[in-house]
Amino acid sequence: MSVPTDDDHLMTLIERIAQRDEAALKALYDLTARKLYGLSLRVVGSAEAAEDALQESFLHVWRNAGDYRATLSPPMAWLGLIVRSRSLDILRRRAAERSHLTQELDETLADTLDGDTPDPLDTILASQQAWALHQCLGQLEPKQREVISLAYLRDLSHRELSERLALPLGTVKTWIRRGLDRLRDCMARFA
Amino acid sequence: MRIHRHPELVQRLAAAHALGTLRGGARRRFEAIAREQPVVRAAALEWQSRVASLNELQRPAEPAPQVWTRIHNLVQADVERTAMAQARTPAEERGVWHSLALWRGAGLTGVFTLLLAAVFVPDLMRDLQQRSAQVAELERRLLATPEVRYVSVLNDEQARPAMLITFDPKNNRLSLQRVGAYQEAADRSLQLWALPPGAAPRSLGVLTPERLQQLAVQESAVREVPALAISLEPLGGVPSERGPTGPVLFQGALIQKQI
Repeated sequence: MSVPTDDDHLMTLIERIAQRDEAALKALYDLTARKLYGLSLRVVGSAEAAEDALQESFLHVWRNAGDYRATLSPPMAWLGLIVRSRSLDILRRRAAERSHLTQELDETLADTLDGDTPDPLDTILASQQAWALHQCLGQLEPKQREVISLAYLRDLSHRELSERLALPLGTVKTWIRRGLDRLRDCMARFA
Repeated sequence: MRIHRHPELVQRLAAAHALGTLRGGARRRFEAIAREQPVVRAAALEWQSRVASLNELQRPAEPAPQVWTRIHNLVQADVERTAMAQARTPAEERGVWHSLALWRGAGLTGVFTLLLAAVFVPDLMRDLQQRSAQVAELERRLLATPEVRYVSVLNDEQARPAMLITFDPKNNRLSLQRVGAYQEAADRSLQLWALPPGAAPRSLGVLTPERLQQLAVQESAVREVPALAISLEPLGGVPSERGPTGPVLFQGALIQKQI
């Protein structure tokens, strides 16, 4: 990307959006849509639902950009929270509408757990804290890392994780506890 | 237990809380303590922010181009709604007519106007002529205003409104306004069908991707047609006699207005 995409630039765009500047919304979309769509895809597991979530998220940004400043969040963190929350809403709505979706999800989950490669980090867009978390996650066992990511991204309980991943409940609990302990020690060094 | 005296435990609970794996009664107890004790609250917030960074660590992917089109359309609709709401506001500010100061001022102005009128009667006459020309122009426009005789709102599968349709028999014009987020792919067209009872669907026209559009339609094509539907067809639509070939996306009742 040739455009400078640091936090200041993103924050300027969000401020312009708060002033009803549609060109700024388009610019923000062009810079962040791939990243945010990737997140939504990971949460909802289907392209169609992820596109709906992305659409709802940007409409939310359009209507609520004025609230951004008060959150004190780095821009990508704010956008990430919006997208995750919209995605989870859609996931719950769809799960309520169609129970067969659980099955699709299970398959996606199993696939994700097989993939051991740590997710590549787009360092240009990530906040400082995300960079630190990325470093620390890299120190975990791949499976610990995946279970922790899934617990958060899909808002799953220990029991749901154990059912969907076909792992004993005790194993899930241990992986998460140990993973979080190691993250704590590691993140403390970045504080 | 005074958990804030056990930093290790506070950290562990705050992490599980942020991750979402602390559930039920344990979650409620932890939240109650966090509300009371700033140290615990700070730990909870710090972990929330750390864990939320997971949002930023997901593999990017390319969304389909129509996602932006849909966002753009919704934003446009938002902008229009706001503009309309603003346009309506001045009419609601009639409270000013009740202002005593205004009437006093108007009284004085009235006297002043009489004085002026004595001097400028020819100007006043010209003004009156202009006004009657304006009234004539308004009448002409009123006559030209479409007469909406039929109305239909087509809904999608989830019963969300997708298309507002009105028919003006005076001008044989069917007006369509997209109200939902749907946008067909570039190689597809939406086609509008009349669904007469006991007969095959008849095409009323093929839609362009624009949000607003008009189709020339004779009243006979919609008279006594109880419902309309829109199907997704190959680009350019299909011949009427073949009937819809693609999925029906939107449908709704066609209502003849009597008010």
